[in-house]
Amino acid sequence: MSLYLPNKVTLIKIIEETPTIKTFVFKPHVSFSFKTGQFVELTYPGAGEAPFTPSSSPNKKDEFEVTIMRVGRVTELFHNAKEGEVLGVRGPYGNGYPLDDFKGKELLIVGGGVGLAPLRSLIYALYARINDFKKIVICYGARSPQDIIYKYQLDEFKDQTKVEFRLTVDRAEPTWKGNVGIVTTTLDKLPIDTKSATGIVCGPPIMMKFVSLKLLELGFAPDKVYLSMEKNMSCGLGKCGHCRLGKYYICKDGPVFKLQDIKDMWDIWD
Amino acid sequence: MNHTLDFIESNNFLKLLNNLTKAYQVFFPAETKKNYFWQSYTGNFAFNNYRAVTSIRQFLTSAVEPIGDYFKTKTENSKPFCIVGAKACDLSNALKVQDYVFLEGDVDENYKKMRQQNLIISSDCTAIKETCFCLAFGIKPYPEELFDLNISPAENGYAVRIGSDRGEKIVAENKDLFKDITWQMREEHERKRSDIVKKLTLQVSQLNFPQKELLYDLMKNGYGDGVWPSEALRCVECGACIMNCPTCHCFLLFDTKDENGYFKGRIWDGCQYKNFTRVAGGASALRFREYRLRNRYIKKFEFFPSRINTYACTGCGRCVEDCPAKIDLRKIFATLDKNQKH
Repeated sequence: MSLYLPNKVTLIKIIEETPTIKTFVFKPHVSFSFKTGQFVELTYPGAGEAPFTPSSSPNKKDEFEVTIMRVGRVTELFHNAKEGEVLGVRGPYGNGYPLDDFKGKELLIVGGGVGLAPLRSLIYALYARINDFKKIVICYGARSPQDIIYKYQLDEFKDQTKVEFRLTVDRAEPTWKGNVGIVTTTLDKLPIDTKSATGIVCGPPIMMKFVSLKLLELGFAPDKVYLSMEKNMSCGLGKCGHCRLGKYYICKDGPVFKLQDIKDMWDIWD
Repeated sequence: MNHTLDFIESNNFLKLLNNLTKAYQVFFPAETKKNYFWQSYTGNFAFNNYRAVTSIRQFLTSAVEPIGDYFKTKTENSKPFCIVGAKACDLSNALKVQDYVFLEGDVDENYKKMRQQNLIISSDCTAIKETCFCLAFGIKPYPEELFDLNISPAENGYAVRIGSDRGEKIVAENKDLFKDITWQMREEHERKRSDIVKKLTLQVSQLNFPQKELLYDLMKNGYGDGVWPSEALRCVECGACIMNCPTCHCFLLFDTKDENGYFKGRIWDGCQYKNFTRVAGGASALRFREYRLRNRYIKKFEFFPSRINTYACTGCGRCVEDCPAKIDLRKIFATLDKNQKH
């Protein structure tokens, strides 16, 4: 079979996260597994496909979840899909997070908006071997309290002795009791040694740019900051050419890159 | 591979092509107003003096190509191509680049099938176009590699060189059609080759095109050069430079419905088109024409050299000749060279 053709998945559950974001639970018809941070191409049969990074635990074998924001033609199709529909998946593709390199480290995870989706998969993977890490700080910024995803799980994420969870929103009604401010405002006074810690960032390009600059300012080493990049992708296999930037295919050489390797490239944040 | 020369008379060459139509769809470049366009062989053949307007890429991946019906297993079988009259600029560098893209790592089965089954009967250039500059990339105006058979015009026929086991087999299967070559023919053949090289050397020497060894650094250090905005200003995004380029390979997968159910296809795409890098949110890394123009050069003169130590350019001159805005790769490099010297 051609490497560009999808396998069947049944959409077994849809979870409304926010007015524009839903989490879809898929049951693959043929065996499927992924490393956290890898992405898949989801197909709406006969209509189109797009790349997404699963938001579920890589250790969960019989189903996987993808959290999708409605932003364009294909995501609109998914948002209109019904439980029980049979859709398609290709992949997984790309490198994923190098979990073994994180061993024994203090980790800072910074998520922006729907960028928390791939990071949730990572968080599940980290929690499954929590003894491997010294400390985990998770900072999550959403546009407003209504835009926070996984609300029903955040308490569960906080409920770990080694974990500190910081939440902020860009703007809020006066009734909001939590922090207000962009995600970089949560990065001061971190309870970790920034010189030796590892940073993992996922969010919109502008957020990743400013978080990266902030982390460098805080003393993080550029080769210990990992970014999950996204670009227009068609094949996901390093053949169609769409996602190449400079000397990298985002799909094949990434989507997870060390800041060190891309910080001097042109157009990387666009 | 043994590069001995054989000889085939013109009428026997037609017989050979007729024989090949049993197993292959035979194509050759036919002339219209001094340009050559790939045409299906139906019994008439004339030698093409220089390259066709389009590259042989269409015989490797079609411009619009079915990938297949998904959620099913079905494969279609059609006869492979016999490509007659491919020139050195269709083969050297070009096939190395295409092979890397489609065969390295995850194998594209359609492409693999084409590469394994297609027969390439290439030929010498006997004239040059104004835009030809293959020598700048060290490619001679006659194929030295990557062909099954190569033909060079000789009196009343062609000198034939064998370039592969498959080519050797074809000659063996049709051995009655071939003759030994005479020493006069061999001398004539060598003289013609050296004449065309001389002609082309003169043409290339007038271009101020930098030494090929310099191109990678010129590109790497030339991102901020004023040549990109000034040249890109004229680009009308027609895509001629992409579609006719022997090393361009970008494509877009698309999904649709057909009578059998769901169907996936692939269509050639390219980085000079406005929405090539646009994502659903609206961001686009290559949102300006100057970024897109520069990107095409980064891919060809920085990316491929760093991956496979090969420039993704054969000096065929198609992008130069076909550009309605007269954006000229040769002049862009001459400018980068000039600007980086001062």
